[in-house]
Amino acid sequence: MSELARTLEALLFLSSEPVSAVELAEATGVEAGEVSAALSELQEEFAPGRRGVLLREVAGGYTLASDPLAEDAARTLLGRPRHGVLTPAQLETLAIVAYLQPVSRPEIARIRGVNAESPVATLLDRGLISESGRSEFGAVLYRTTPLFLKIFDLGSLEDLPDPRRWDPTPEEEGELRDRLLAAGDARSGVAVE
Amino acid sequence: MRVAELEFDLDVFSGPFDLLLTLILREEVDLREVSLGEVVVSYLDHLESRGELDLEATTEFIVLIAALLELKSRLLLPGEELDELIELEPGEAAEELLARMLEARRYRSASEHLSLLLARAPAVRYREAPLPPALRRADLEDAPAGLWDPDALGRALAGLLAHPPRLDLSHVLVARVSVSERIAHLRRLLRKAAELRFEDAVAGADRMTVAVTLFALLELYKRGELSWDQDEPFGEITLRARPRTTVR
Repeated sequence: MSELARTLEALLFLSSEPVSAVELAEATGVEAGEVSAALSELQEEFAPGRRGVLLREVAGGYTLASDPLAEDAARTLLGRPRHGVLTPAQLETLAIVAYLQPVSRPEIARIRGVNAESPVATLLDRGLISESGRSEFGAVLYRTTPLFLKIFDLGSLEDLPDPRRWDPTPEEEGELRDRLLAAGDARSGVAVE
Repeated sequence: MRVAELEFDLDVFSGPFDLLLTLILREEVDLREVSLGEVVVSYLDHLESRGELDLEATTEFIVLIAALLELKSRLLLPGEELDELIELEPGEAAEELLARMLEARRYRSASEHLSLLLARAPAVRYREAPLPPALRRADLEDAPAGLWDPDALGRALAGLLAHPPRLDLSHVLVARVSVSERIAHLRRLLRKAAELRFEDAVAGADRMTVAVTLFALLELYKRGELSWDQDEPFGEITLRARPRTTVR
């Protein structure tokens, strides 16, 4: 391995958060091109099946991770799972924060139609979201953290698909609207044909 | 005994509780005329006479009385929000509801996608390095010598167990003003002048007194001793004495 590749390996070993290629270039004082060449060299060195450690590109940078092979043993050694289970309410809250960040708790509650206090508190506790300033009305705003990207194996927030892909088709939407109108008329006592 | 069967003897109504509820719901008895305070007092009397607390019946009573209180407060206060909702055309309401449903559905689907990502993510672990010492609040190695002395712990505990000296509150003056005082005050003013401004009735008074005077005003209105006008929110309140008709 080249000297630069070995240096980068050492830097990644020391960092607990993913390090971007730019940061690596700044730290080593070499051109971006050389860093990316050294990174490919490292990629090869850490190709799956060669070492117990993998080089992964996640959360906007490079980081070392354990091979899934070691997962069972690692769980025994460290005494805890990689990440806890997320309830549907927590996942929904996390999805809203991921797509609309920075977003306030009242806004989350408005979209979900139920109070968001408990899921927000749990997500904060688990480090998946963090506070990020206040809205013009003084409500605390939340953002997802790098840990969120790591756990969900995302390079960046841009890797999330456009949420409009889950919207219903215009026909489905029209049908829904008609059903709502019919229900509204039935409630206000207007006869519907 | 069930709450519904309780007998009440109120100013505007006398009979079992469920009949009172029925009459209120049919609007044959005006809830605004019913003193809910009286209902509560009668119920407390009833509880006292029985000498035991039936948790179920009492809960039922609290639920009913809370619903009545809410209903009454809605009747007494002009409901701007309510008007706004009613003004919404059925079509608009459906559109609003539809927009909300679509938004909720979008993020529910997004959460399902996240769940899928989570399931698909490889079972890798990342390094979790502790904070560097400089950023930690304290470090055991930096602790001053003698900190682990058991006597130090004992002394700290002794300090916690000792009663703190009583707080001297003699310099705090608690302003006490009662509704009945303010009622008497308003009556006195209304005897002198048939009409007066609320502002004059509380001239020079502190906030607490102004608030209590407002309660006195509501109480006198309820008793039919005065009426008032206010053209706009925060506008001037004009009080007018009403001829006293003894309703006994």
